[in-house]
Amino acid sequence: MSSRIDHHHLPINGQILPQPCPHLVEFRSRNGAKPFRALQDCLRVKPPGGHASIRREPNEVPRCGACGESGGVTRLYACLACAAVHCHAPPGPSHAAVHGESMSPGHEIAVDVDRAELFCCACRDQVYDRDFDAAVVLAQTAASTLHTPSSIVRSPHPENLRKRRRVDYRPWTPDPRERVLVGSCSSPLNATVLDSCSRDFPSGLRGLNNLGNTCFMNSVLQALLHTPPLRNYFLSDRHNRYYCQKKSTVVNNGSKSNAGNPTDSRICLACDMDEMFSAVFSGDRTPYSPAKFLYSWWQHAANLASYEQQDAHEFFISMLDGIHEKVEKDRRKTQSQGNGDCCVAHRVFSGILRSDVMCMACGFTSTTYDPCVDISLDLEPNQGGSAKMVSTKSNHSCNGEADHMNLSQNCGTSTLMGCLDRFTRPERLGSDQKFFCQQCQVRQESLKQMSIRKLPLVSCFHIKRFEHSSIRKMSRKVDRYLQFPFSLDMAPYLSSSILRSRFGNRYFPFDGDEPDASNKLSSEFELFAVVTHTGKLDAGHYVTYLRLSNQWYKCDDAWVTEVNESIVRAAQGYMMFYVQKVLYYKASEKRVVP
Amino acid sequence: MRASVNRPPTPDVGDTQEKQPTLEEIINIKFIESGEKERLMELLRERLIECGWKDEMKALCRAFVKKKGRNNVTVDDLVHLITPKGRASIPDSIKAELLQRIRTFLVSAAL
Repeated sequence: MSSRIDHHHLPINGQILPQPCPHLVEFRSRNGAKPFRALQDCLRVKPPGGHASIRREPNEVPRCGACGESGGVTRLYACLACAAVHCHAPPGPSHAAVHGESMSPGHEIAVDVDRAELFCCACRDQVYDRDFDAAVVLAQTAASTLHTPSSIVRSPHPENLRKRRRVDYRPWTPDPRERVLVGSCSSPLNATVLDSCSRDFPSGLRGLNNLGNTCFMNSVLQALLHTPPLRNYFLSDRHNRYYCQKKSTVVNNGSKSNAGNPTDSRICLACDMDEMFSAVFSGDRTPYSPAKFLYSWWQHAANLASYEQQDAHEFFISMLDGIHEKVEKDRRKTQSQGNGDCCVAHRVFSGILRSDVMCMACGFTSTTYDPCVDISLDLEPNQGGSAKMVSTKSNHSCNGEADHMNLSQNCGTSTLMGCLDRFTRPERLGSDQKFFCQQCQVRQESLKQMSIRKLPLVSCFHIKRFEHSSIRKMSRKVDRYLQFPFSLDMAPYLSSSILRSRFGNRYFPFDGDEPDASNKLSSEFELFAVVTHTGKLDAGHYVTYLRLSNQWYKCDDAWVTEVNESIVRAAQGYMMFYVQKVLYYKASEKRVVP
Repeated sequence: MRASVNRPPTPDVGDTQEKQPTLEEIINIKFIESGEKERLMELLRERLIECGWKDEMKALCRAFVKKKGRNNVTVDDLVHLITPKGRASIPDSIKAELLQRIRTFLVSAAL
């Protein structure tokens, strides 16, 4: 007979901590955290991997004091009050429960000797305590930093991740003076130009003419034209092309010699984007020709300047780089890309990836942080009908399509979340990729694990469908269908989640966690654009699907049509764009933002 | 744990001397002392993760908790749920590998 305790859930450090049962509460009030600290001497951690167990002597074989069972089928619990070990094997006898009852009060709380988890013998269920978990985590991390005397837990803080102060949103309407200003400095869109059918279309939808195998560019541009933070940036005149050109000319004339092309500083991809935004959102529905943009991009990426079909993803990266470079040249100083202060491209797309490499011999972990503007994912290898590889993270209850995905996974379909699982799974670096361990001072086999330290405002997922083998001198395209969700919760892939699961989901503070609910909201993303590729590697076509006001539109070069969402779901995703569901204002340290 | 107050009564000297350790117990002790049991446990954990068995069990547990409600599930319930399924779904290759390792150990331990 087990009593059901109603656990109320309190979020602490972003995690939900079940309330302790009355027996644990009483135990704590009577003994404080002393028993947990005393346990630390008995915590044995086997590096690497860090499984913690309780043993009085390293080779102790724990046995039940009543019947002599030594584990295997039964679980063994050591009483925290008197150190007596007893078995617990329902539906059979539970000597642990008997002990708790017979020695009551004070002997109800015990610890699983093989798993280092607290157990209440009276409630017959696992219980949780922050101080206990902290002691276990301490032991686990101490095991991997044997020779470094000073610190234990502190992983290196990326310097470019300052704690953001969140500022509340305040709605704004222009006052009379501002209204006059807006009126005098702008001109209304000519409503009579629009015919009846185009008035039904949302603003900003406009076809892009193909200028000669430029669908790779058109598809990415369509996605960017409707990337909310980017669209807002340009439409609110944050990069004024006239002002920028004037500034560039001054700079150009001012400097003594311009090494290279004298018109160099006048090429500005951001200015061309600004012009494109103005044109696309003007209300004119005739297809637009992004010739100027193409020319500017050719100047920037000379090696890709041809009428041959290019890779859309390569174009995307090159374009962001182009915007960044120009801004950097203007400012004449390098800013870190990680926090996105350098340019709008990084402000929107840049996140930070964390890479942990753990030595398999001693457990020492080396951590590095790198900025990234997108995540390139491998497609899972062909599962061939095996239902074994079920991904648990995609069963996250916040993902509204959990049931839908469950079914497809059992049939062996690849999903985006499955790819993300693989991306964040610990990967063994084999004997031919040994990593130099600072503690062992030799190359050792290691375990590498990626996670996301900071999520970007807009996540771009690139699916590696094009395989180029330089050895075999051939390339091929992977056509396998990939299922992607319309709503995506990135929480399981964050460094905090990955780290916690490494320690068996114990409760401990992770540096950078903000103790409020905003963390939960900022990991939820919504799909707004999908760039798809159809056809062969060398003879294919890119098309973009855009989601505006929950309606999907197909952008096929100059032709924009409304489509049903089922068409989008069935499409072959190559690049998927997700935007954070809730955006926050960051408290600005500068008076004027350039 | 050393500073305990309510120790259970020490067993009588007479009791322990009557029990002879069984062969199974001797092997088990040798297994643990040599560290082989630990190594095999780690190997088993690795293999079960690789083949997706752990994920499968996790999924079963999650589905169960979702159905019953977070507050109405105990560890015992979960153990009771996944033990039969877990034992049944271990791939033969893993069983074979571990048995081979154990056999090798027994031979080398010259028992």
